Amino acid sequence: MTSDLGVDLGHLRLRGPVIAASGTFGYGTEVPLLERRALAALVSKGIFLRPRPGTPPPRIVETPSGMLNAIGLQGPGAEALLREYAPLWSAWDFPVLVNINGETVEEYGELAARLDGIPGVGGFEVNISCPNVEQGGMYFGNDPRAAADVTRAVRQRTTLPVWVKLTPNVGDIGEVARAVEDAGADAVCAVNTFLGMSIDLHAFRPRLSFRTGGLSGPAIRPLALQLAHQVARTVQVPVIGIGGIASPEDALEFLVAGCAAVQVGTATFADPQAIARVHDGIAAYLESKSWTTLKELPRYLPRD
Amino acid sequence: MFETSAPLSERRQVARDMFVLGFDAPAVAAAAKAGQFVNIGLKPGPLLRRPFSVYRADEGRVEIVLRAVGEGTSRLLSLREGDRVSVLGPLGTGFRFEPAWRSVALVSGGLGLAPMLLAARDARAAGLSVHWVHGARTAWDLGSEWDGEEATWATDDGSRGFHGSAVAAVEEEFGAVLACGPNPMLAAVAERWPDAQVAVETYMGCGTGVCLGCAVPLLAGGYDRACREGPVYRAADVDWPALPSHLSYSAVAMPA
Ligand SMILES: Cc1cc2nc3c(=O)[nH]c(=O)nc-3n(C[C@H](O)[C@H](O)[C@H](O)COP(=O)(O)OP(=O)(O)OC[C@H]3O[C@@H](n4cnc5c(N)ncnc54)[C@H](O)[C@@H]3O)c2cc1C
Ligand SMILES: Cc1cc2nc3c(=O)[nH]c(=O)nc-3n(C[C@H](O)[C@H](O)[C@H](O)COP(=O)(O)O)c2cc1C
Ligand code: FES
Repeated sequence: MTSDLGVDLGHLRLRGPVIAASGTFGYGTEVPLLERRALAALVSKGIFLRPRPGTPPPRIVETPSGMLNAIGLQGPGAEALLREYAPLWSAWDFPVLVNINGETVEEYGELAARLDGIPGVGGFEVNISCPNVEQGGMYFGNDPRAAADVTRAVRQRTTLPVWVKLTPNVGDIGEVARAVEDAGADAVCAVNTFLGMSIDLHAFRPRLSFRTGGLSGPAIRPLALQLAHQVARTVQVPVIGIGGIASPEDALEFLVAGCAAVQVGTATFADPQAIARVHDGIAAYLESKSWTTLKELPRYLPRD
Repeated sequence: MFETSAPLSERRQVARDMFVLGFDAPAVAAAAKAGQFVNIGLKPGPLLRRPFSVYRADEGRVEIVLRAVGEGTSRLLSLREGDRVSVLGPLGTGFRFEPAWRSVALVSGGLGLAPMLLAARDARAAGLSVHWVHGARTAWDLGSEWDGEEATWATDDGSRGFHGSAVAAVEEEFGAVLACGPNPMLAAVAERWPDAQVAVETYMGCGTGVCLGCAVPLLAGGYDRACREGPVYRAADVDWPALPSHLSYSAVAMPA
């Protein structure tokens, strides 16, 4: 017996619960080693409407069980994305969602409008949580009103799935989650990286040229799990759990805690097959329990 | 690109604190070209892989040369024969060789010797005559392995060969210059030979082109990836002042 790992995220049916996280898989054209059958969906590296150079190096630094990054959303902009990547995506057997960013609410809407209807663009992950840009990014995700405005601006310009990616660097994540749900998000992704810092004791200055960066990897897993769980208790739309997932057990923790699916990011750097390993491990686990679908997995989701 | 669980099968010392480690990884060894690197994963060990130039690649074995500078390199040097690591590679774009050059100078400093044995191999295969100029702090830091051809040594303290840097030790004209060493040395190479091919170092997240962590600032503006378009660049194309020299980021030894 083989179990069906399919997942329904609103109108979007995915063939499995494991999604490649934005910024850790490029545009899907690299990492030839991954067995793509395991990939339920791919979220592209974050883009803005216009090209962006990104931040000066050093952009990454390893920390205990994690890493800080300040890439600064380097990207080619919407036109190059349409020309170079979308045609490739349209031939793939899993959806690609574009991680969209803006410095203003209008810019998010404009970007969604430009990409809407383009073959290969399977939906949007609205990034209101990037800690590595001077304008926009995380600042929209800090304020429920601004978060709702951005979500609405995107919602009004597309019929494709709209996921909104939340920042953990906020007082009450539930409040932001509820605001984006009310504004029309089809799913909520929790979470992006935690704001962090590391000092170089030789130079007496931060190791990252951007001063601060976003912390990812196993170091954030329990923090991210708690936040994803809190969001899952708050909203009705599906929640996609993200943060430090590297093994099938890690992913199952997020699923039991109320997430409909998960994203795997940093783990891919150490193991290009991480997504296949997590997917196959979940399948083996379901089979060992004689469960035919993920719906049979018991969830811990008390409603307040 | 391959990923393979590879056992340690060789370990030898080639200079003070400097060791060669060999791993059985036939597919990677067969594909490796000069200037390419492998990204090595250790379990237990640090979260991220560690990049190393391919030093030698024959008989199914990939060799790297290194010195302990931190957790990853220390762990690598404490491996015993048969212990396995994950070898991902070969990665990056290596050196180009054109027969029209007739001769090539390989200029290296310190651990920058790492890609030069393969560079000599590939240069000879392209019909070029090879001259290696290698510098280190002292005679004991030079590295002892060289497959014939002409070589010039340089030491900072004059304990062997030319008294000064490898760059300063190059006297003749060559059809092309290939260089590897600390980024400040490569900046000096760029001053003297703008068309030289240089292999740079950056921090790396993935080594496969997906994270954009290995940004190399280009004089023309923008960044590209040391792990994909690089690590070999035309010297004059790199914005050297904007490329961090990692040695200044080394860990501080705390008083006991
Ligand atoms: C393409 C490429 C090829 C390389 N080839 C070789 C090689 O052939 N032999 C060799 O010994 N080293 C090589 N390096 C450097 C090597 O990857 C680092 O020294 C190693 O990652 C340090 O790991 P660690 O855990 O021991 O040190 P960490 O604890 O991570 O750091 C210790 C010290 O090393 C410095 N460091 C860390 N990572 C790098 C890096 N990527 N580049 C430069 N300095 C770094 C840190 O700033 C610090 O000073 C190469 C790097 C690159 C990018
Ligand atoms: C190098 C790097 C680049 C990232 N770029 C983006 C991005 O462009 N947009 C985004 O929404 N999240 C980005 N992220 C965040 C990840 O998608 C993910 O939310 C975070 O890393 C936590 O998951 P992980 O611990 O599995 O990596 C990036 C993360 C890393 C490490
Ligand atoms: S190290 Fe990740 S893109 Fe180069």
